[in-house]
Amino acid sequence: MVRRIVLLLLLFLVFICESTIVPWLIPDVLHTRLIPHLAYILILFVAVYYHRHTALVLGLVFGLLHDVVFYGDMIGAYSFSMGLSAYVLGLLFQSPRAPYPLMMTVVLIGSLLLDNMLYGLYLVFGLTREPYSWALGHYMFPNLLLHFIFALLVFVPVRRQLEKVAKLRKRNAEDE
Amino acid sequence: MLKLFKLLGNKKLFILLVGLILFIALMGFTLTNRTSLSWPEKFVRDTVGFVQGVFYKPASYMAGLFEDIGNLNNLYEENQELKLTAAQYLLQQANYNKLVQANKRYKEDLKFTQQQLAQNQFDLRIANVTSVDTDADTGTIVIDLGQNDGVRKDMPVISTEGMVGIISETSPFHSTVKLLTTLDPLDSNSKAIAATVVGKENESFGMIESYDKATGMLTMTQIKENDPLKKGDEIVSSGSGGLFPSGMIIGKVVSRQVGDFGLTNTATIQPAADFKDWKEVFVVYTKETQE
Repeated sequence: MVRRIVLLLLLFLVFICESTIVPWLIPDVLHTRLIPHLAYILILFVAVYYHRHTALVLGLVFGLLHDVVFYGDMIGAYSFSMGLSAYVLGLLFQSPRAPYPLMMTVVLIGSLLLDNMLYGLYLVFGLTREPYSWALGHYMFPNLLLHFIFALLVFVPVRRQLEKVAKLRKRNAEDE
Repeated sequence: MLKLFKLLGNKKLFILLVGLILFIALMGFTLTNRTSLSWPEKFVRDTVGFVQGVFYKPASYMAGLFEDIGNLNNLYEENQELKLTAAQYLLQQANYNKLVQANKRYKEDLKFTQQQLAQNQFDLRIANVTSVDTDADTGTIVIDLGQNDGVRKDMPVISTEGMVGIISETSPFHSTVKLLTTLDPLDSNSKAIAATVVGKENESFGMIESYDKATGMLTMTQIKENDPLKKGDEIVSSGSGGLFPSGMIIGKVVSRQVGDFGLTNTATIQPAADFKDWKEVFVVYTKETQE
């Protein structure tokens, strides 16, 4: 139980860092081209190694947090896309034994899925007028690379922690 | 038909559809021009804002330190230049004071109303940036001044270089700044800025309406054909329209071309602010206008 709370707090910490410390680490040339969604990548790990429902709730909550804190135009875009894409990917790929390459594929698909859903929503609500090809080259692909590198870095520790939590849950379920 | 009912009987699909409708309703509602936020929103914004502030400040100091080390070489030249500008300012100050006095006297003679007098008065207050959202389409920054400090919606925000955006939402201790990079004439919430050229304030006029993300340039429209505006001119807000005070630096003209319908011209403007490496910004406190 304690471990779960600590992990949740760490997720919140990553959410805070992605909008405070990470922008300073991005080189000036790539400034509007890298839009870090690091907390979302961690939620994808939860979807694959833990459970898709947890990932859905986490996606909705952290998306909503992002929406409310950076409320410029509308609330709900991030919440909707993060929740739904994490759930769908969990539905398709959830397996506690997912190997390294599979998880990386999920991260790649997830990163593209999130950016595409956001682009689609902004297009529907008239917040963007840039052509899709431009968005693809300007920030979706650089984002993909950033998220891939981040997932590579955190893969081992995050997987180990999530497996521990999952094992604990299984044991609790058996006890009851 | 029976199949369709079976499909709708699927609980997951049903929840998904309801969720979709709820979210679209939420987005549609929040997209409209809201006067103030509800208390849960304010609470979340301020709590997260405080935590972000704790992280952002040290990070910006560290980044600033490296930048300073990099700039050490240019320090001497920069100092010389600054001394020169300071001397020029001093010279102009005397002249400026005289003009201000004269202007005030004329306004009194012409019986300006209180509101007209207050229109272009403003105070600046410094604000620390607490976090940045780099999203290309809805980019915002969060600053640590809020309702309790008297910040209101639609106040302009400037940096030392030039105008960066307007306040979009406020909570008691924090506000969100919608950047100029999200300017869009089709968006009903985005407000065009009435602008003019420094030194040709009486002859030149146009509206800063949109920002091109691909080129990083602002577009100024509705420029009359006989307007003296030309390449290299410095663009500032004109103060007409009442929303923004006059004299806020927006950018430099890069090119001028004939507009969409051939009746007016448009100009491409390089924004003065660079929209990155945020440290401090200034909120322009305009006098409250009666509506």
